[in-house]
Amino acid sequence: MDQENLSFKLCQSCQQEIPLSNKFCTNCGQSQVIIDGQFHEKKWLNLQQVGLFFLVEILCCASVFLVKEHTLSFLYFIDGVMAISAVIFFGYSWAENKVILKWPSFSLQKLAGLIIATILASIVVTFLVDHLNRDILNKELSYYSIFEFHKYGTYLMFASMALYPAIFEELAYRGYLMQKLLTVVDEKEAIYISSILFFIIHFSFLSIFWLLPFALFLGYLRIKTKTIWYGVFVHFFFNLTACFLDLFPLEDLYKMIF
Amino acid sequence: MEIPTHSFCNACYKAYAPNDSFCNSCGYPLQGTPQQQDFFISERTVKEIDLSSMNEAVRKAGNSLFWIAGLTALSFLFILATVAEEDRSSILIANTFLVVAFLALGFLSRSKPTAALISGLSLYLIIHILNAIDNPLTIFSGIIFKVIIIGYLIKGIKAVLDADKLKKELNID
Repeated sequence: MDQENLSFKLCQSCQQEIPLSNKFCTNCGQSQVIIDGQFHEKKWLNLQQVGLFFLVEILCCASVFLVKEHTLSFLYFIDGVMAISAVIFFGYSWAENKVILKWPSFSLQKLAGLIIATILASIVVTFLVDHLNRDILNKELSYYSIFEFHKYGTYLMFASMALYPAIFEELAYRGYLMQKLLTVVDEKEAIYISSILFFIIHFSFLSIFWLLPFALFLGYLRIKTKTIWYGVFVHFFFNLTACFLDLFPLEDLYKMIF
Repeated sequence: MEIPTHSFCNACYKAYAPNDSFCNSCGYPLQGTPQQQDFFISERTVKEIDLSSMNEAVRKAGNSLFWIAGLTALSFLFILATVAEEDRSSILIANTFLVVAFLALGFLSRSKPTAALISGLSLYLIIHILNAIDNPLTIFSGIIFKVIIIGYLIKGIKAVLDADKLKKELNID
């Protein structure tokens, strides 16, 4: 008897018992699939908000090309604008977004494993990128060159190359963007979209072989763990390793040891 | 529990039980007057036509991604003739990447339209913003074409969302 009851439900409008699999009530014809018109209206609105956010990001990143001389203060100004916009957009839908700032089922083991894997991956990627830049484009890429004239250059470099993107890019892309996209599309597509947007905002086509997988991994991590913090740590250690190798190239380390 | 099936619904061709007043999968008034039944069918047809026009908009938006790929390749050939020798390899790499990217997004738009169209639109906008920073006059070259393409892409994204809603209403998976 109980089992039979389980396969029935009550119609939302005439309260008649109908089989659970019915999409419409066989008694009054009322649809049993709840279609929330407002919810659908909101989807388009959410996408427009995402569009506005991404336009701000594009303009900030593109403005770097507008000036000829890259000074530190200009760089920090742009970083500041982007950080503030990320926080504003995130905070605007605070009620929906605050859940991902929590850290449910914190696992030190998992975090340590991720960090070690990240550092190893970062070493491999930095090595490949160095060679790619040298062999194909014939140019040396150094993050440090813009910081080296400053008294605290190394610290500033670590702050703006590792700490800043880890916190604010994660907040913006895996935080705000992902939350908004999840209201519009399913999890898989949300990962794809946020990763592709994250990749193209870096304006570096050659980095597709590592930046896109990296972004996909961060997106996957964010969906699986329902928190941005693992992503923040992974992103931080990835960039930190790259900065470290920029200051102390692998070849030098190799010579020092052997 | 098996429901004895006797007939099939006039609107969605699914089986229904003899004492049902409405079809359980589309809501068709099985015991209603012919007028009610005709009204239901015409309402459903209108929605189905809407749906097919939305799918058409999505398809067109996907096609415009292929158009972008083709035009990028074409304009690349013109650029190649005018630039200096030493710039050619980097322009070749960048353009090949863009053509491949838009082709890939075009194919992706058949299975994952939202992801492909949003990414395609963003990439297209970024390219033109960067071009405009490099040389402001590029905004005006082929501006009608750019506006049409952007219009198709935005319409396509909106159509995906509306089609999702209609599919739910019509109970099509």
